[in-house]
Amino acid sequence: MDFPILSAVTFIPLAGAILILLVKMLTGAQIRPDGTEDERVVYAGIMFSVATFVMSIVMFLSFDLSGTGYQLVEEVEWFSGIKYKMGIDGMSLLLILLTTLLTPIALIASIGSIKHRLTEYIVSFLVLETFMIGVFCALDLVVFYVFFEAGLIPMFIIIGVWGGVDRIYASFKFFLYTLLGSLFMLAAVVYMYLTAGTSDVVQLEQFEFAKGAQTWLWLAFFASFAVKLPMWPVHTWLPDAHVQAPTGGSVILAGILLKMGGYGFLRFSLPMFPDASVLFQPFVFTISVIAIVYASLVAWRQTDMKKLIAYSSVAHMGFVTLGIFSFTEYGVQGAIFQMLSHGLISGALFLIVGVVYDRMHTREISAYGGLVHRMPVYATLFMLFTMANVGLPGTSGFVGEILTMVGAYQASTWAAAGAALGVIFSAVYMLTLYRRTVFGKITNPEVETIEDVNLKELICLIPLAIGTILFGILPNLIFDITRESSLHALAQMAGG
Amino acid sequence: MLFDEAIQFIVLGPGLAALVAGLFQRFIGDRGAMVVTTVIVLLAGILSLYQLFMYAAGVGGAGHAEHASLAADTGHATDYVGQHIIKLVTWMEVGQFKADWAIRVDAMSIVMMAVITSVSGLVHLYSWGYMQDDPHKARFFAYLSLFTFAMLMLVTADNFIQLFFGWEGVGLASYLLIGFWYQNKAPNDAAIKAFVTNRVGDFGLALGIMAVFLVFGSVEFKTVLSAIKENSEVVPLALAEAGTVRELVVPFLSWNIPALELIGVLLFIGAMGKSAQFFLHVWLPDAMEGPTPVSALIHAATMVTAGVYLVCLVSPIYEYAPFAASMIALIGAVTALYAATVGMAQNDIKRVIAYSTCSQLGYMFFAAGIGAYEAAMFHLFTHAFFKALLFLGAGSVIHGAHHEQDMRNMGGFARYMPLTYGAMMIGTIAIIGLGLPHVWGLSGFFSKDAIIETAFAAGMNGVPFGQLAFWFGIIAALLTSFYSWRLIYMTFHGPRAEPHHDDAHGHDDHGHDHHHGDPHESPMVMLIPLGLLSIGAIFAGWYFYDAFVGHDYKEFWNGAIYAAKENTVLKDKYNVPEWVFWAPLFVTITGFLIATFTYLFNRGVGERIAQNGGPLHALFANKWYFDEIYNATLVRGAAWLGDIFKTGDKKVVDGVGPDGVAALVRWSSRRLSAMHTGYLYHYAFVIIGAALVFGAILFWRGGGAG
Repeated sequence: MDFPILSAVTFIPLAGAILILLVKMLTGAQIRPDGTEDERVVYAGIMFSVATFVMSIVMFLSFDLSGTGYQLVEEVEWFSGIKYKMGIDGMSLLLILLTTLLTPIALIASIGSIKHRLTEYIVSFLVLETFMIGVFCALDLVVFYVFFEAGLIPMFIIIGVWGGVDRIYASFKFFLYTLLGSLFMLAAVVYMYLTAGTSDVVQLEQFEFAKGAQTWLWLAFFASFAVKLPMWPVHTWLPDAHVQAPTGGSVILAGILLKMGGYGFLRFSLPMFPDASVLFQPFVFTISVIAIVYASLVAWRQTDMKKLIAYSSVAHMGFVTLGIFSFTEYGVQGAIFQMLSHGLISGALFLIVGVVYDRMHTREISAYGGLVHRMPVYATLFMLFTMANVGLPGTSGFVGEILTMVGAYQASTWAAAGAALGVIFSAVYMLTLYRRTVFGKITNPEVETIEDVNLKELICLIPLAIGTILFGILPNLIFDITRESSLHALAQMAGG
Repeated sequence: MLFDEAIQFIVLGPGLAALVAGLFQRFIGDRGAMVVTTVIVLLAGILSLYQLFMYAAGVGGAGHAEHASLAADTGHATDYVGQHIIKLVTWMEVGQFKADWAIRVDAMSIVMMAVITSVSGLVHLYSWGYMQDDPHKARFFAYLSLFTFAMLMLVTADNFIQLFFGWEGVGLASYLLIGFWYQNKAPNDAAIKAFVTNRVGDFGLALGIMAVFLVFGSVEFKTVLSAIKENSEVVPLALAEAGTVRELVVPFLSWNIPALELIGVLLFIGAMGKSAQFFLHVWLPDAMEGPTPVSALIHAATMVTAGVYLVCLVSPIYEYAPFAASMIALIGAVTALYAATVGMAQNDIKRVIAYSTCSQLGYMFFAAGIGAYEAAMFHLFTHAFFKALLFLGAGSVIHGAHHEQDMRNMGGFARYMPLTYGAMMIGTIAIIGLGLPHVWGLSGFFSKDAIIETAFAAGMNGVPFGQLAFWFGIIAALLTSFYSWRLIYMTFHGPRAEPHHDDAHGHDDHGHDHHHGDPHESPMVMLIPLGLLSIGAIFAGWYFYDAFVGHDYKEFWNGAIYAAKENTVLKDKYNVPEWVFWAPLFVTITGFLIATFTYLFNRGVGERIAQNGGPLHALFANKWYFDEIYNATLVRGAAWLGDIFKTGDKKVVDGVGPDGVAALVRWSSRRLSAMHTGYLYHYAFVIIGAALVFGAILFWRGGGAG
């Protein structure tokens, strides 16, 4: 057997987490009298996450871009026919790279802003990273389910322990929603295993579930993925979770966790329940368009920066579901692209908010104004990501939106027209946010002494800025990798 | 003829300049940024003007024999057969959805490149003087060059997606430049208003592009437009059966609409936004909050004409979409008249010119709507020079008058700034279209009269709204003459008004000290661009008449603009009754006389009329209350809806969902036990329980099998 590179990528963070805990146990708690901890643990965490990133690059290089099907497959018998099976295609490859890129960034962003229970914080992130990568690698339904559900726990802890004032309420809400989805999905997983006699994803793709069964299986998966994405109206956990989460948590939440929903639709719902997917297309289209318009309008009326961006995420995810359920190459390619692009842009926007939050300790838009006078570099980066979020051509935000709309247009002109309304509204809320925080005269005396972005923040933001522009100008870099996965999902639909 | 490299330099050079000025301003300083951007754009301007002259000379010397020999000298006159595309790199390719980064060279793009780079180069130069006291010069010049680049990408696109890139790119640059003085409220409001209103237009444009792709399976101009010209059979990707494209009917929302009509209307909605046409015009006057060179370049000469350019570029669509075309004619005619009425009642010097721009764009649109695309492009071309001249002249006045913009506080400036006065006079004579029919006139005479004559010819041929466009055009010409002379008289003639400062003043105030005193003439660096633009304003119409709309027009456009066989308006303009030729001159003189009487000989009469003007004057002065109506309905409506949703999220969705469940859980857990459980444990419990159930099933099933 070849070197199990996927397992290596998946479990390096976990190994790092265990190592950090061991060292801490062996050397005794490094807690100072004031309750803070030795900051070196952060660097250890960053080191492990960077090692994971490097390993994921090795994975990328081992991946045959012209190949078809799942690659780098690892398979070990687990129990009762359930296998520990890992493997990736173009879509999962890129989502893993996004994960391994954003995790170190989230950790670097935490330097200095997290002071208490630092070790646990770092460990939570590393464990979370393992679960997230696992989700994108798993080729066995049970393994997928385990990673998918397990990932909630560290996130739950991150929000509940290092969150803001209302963190308990927020984490509770997060918990309730996801619990709801998980239970349905678990039932579906059990049923599928019993009916098809296997939990192997590749075999399940070939298995034809009866139409009636498809309907409720689809709904059960949908319950889980829709919460994750999140789709309207099960989105209300997201703004609270984001507002309360520390910056690093928000980056991961928006950047990766939301993508699991879209990934799930493409990996499971479409190929395995094609008839039900077609059946529910009008339903998904309807709530996607509602999500786009509704969330955009709500975003505009927010007074809290993070909430605004959280609602904007809901709107942007609406494009993802729209694209996926258009069942066209344009829509699906656009949806995958939109997921990656949103990972970069929303991650960056949460970092952007984090930069000023660290300095002013408020997320209220009205507390700012005139930042450009003191923070020109910050203003420039903020403008870039604002425009990317607005979907300006030349940034990655545009490509996903136009393609998902092109896909949607072929299925329903109503859906495309509704989604296009979002194009207007996104300009309204983002430009209003930018203008109130960055432009204008300085009204809050605290802003007079605020400092521009420092090196640490630049290290976090610059890679995301480069990605946003590069993939906006040359999106084919992505499409060439994801084409195979998109066509595969669609072929499964047509064939099965 | 030019090499591909030179053309790439014209298009990409300004982009590079913007990058250098924007990113490296710390290292090269203000002066460095100014030099880099100005030199590159001026060079691009010279190259593109050279290209235009060579090209025009090659197709018959624009009627001037001496240029035909130049074409013979270069020996490359036939290089431009149809079009020439320089592909840079593939942008995106998904299925049939394929868009390149490319530079399309044909008559349309040659004309536009010349307009954009030459005006932009002069505006760059002018800004050396106008912005000399501004603390953010590098940023300003970077934005200017960025704009130039985006605009060039727009006009040289070979597909709808790159056009959309340029389209939104100029929108970004416009947003950044309107809000250049970001510390003040008004520019910020205006910048957002401009961007959002344009986005409303882009809503239509984006849907139009999607419709194009659905019908043609391509977003490349060549594929799409030649399919229409040849009426070939197309196979829509979905929603409709295959058919010949001109007869094809596709569904949109709840209707079934001829495909070309649908595409035509949607694309035009985009054009309405960018070119500030009636209903979507509200952003343009507010855009005057930006520095005056910006108003000249973006909001007069180039960006706002992008809509006209788009309509002319896709002329085959409108040739076979009579409803969409008549909509353009109607909206254009209404805009021409509407904006002129408002322009009469404004007191801010820049706003008068802004409404004038709006009105002139209306002329271009109704020309395109009745099928005279060439005349629309011709007016676009000449208008760029005299309108840029007027704006830069106004900028020179504002600069010389220490940031005074209210014409009521001006007067008698002619003797303080004679050169500016001269330039403004040339601009005014050009815009009112003064000229002797069949003999000679300034630029505006040739292009505007061509439009009015074709409108009349269209009316004779029974083209919808042709008659209306003609009459609206005539009335608007009267008003144009009136408000243009009113501007001249209020600013340059009469006694010197004592400056009094109120809140309305100071739009162009960028924070440096006011050094009050007599108005003064502007520096040479500002006057030279005025001089060069004056040459364009005087001669461009005469020189290019034959090429654009005269007897060489077919060779000149060379397929870049398409007219159906039945569409003969451009030729029929020679067959209109004699009085039609003289009507514009008559109304122009009438407008001049009224203005002279009320604002020169009887200074104060105009203002008294305005004060006692009653509801009509109030209607004009308040721009027909568009802002008020939009605010009361659209803006407030959306805000109200947003607030309802925001509350609904908390009360309804959460109330029924998690909060409701939470209340239930809290209530039942109090009942069941006093145990102190954290939610985490709940969750772990459920997971473990679920795993147990799952394991049990597996065990049971395994046992059963064995």
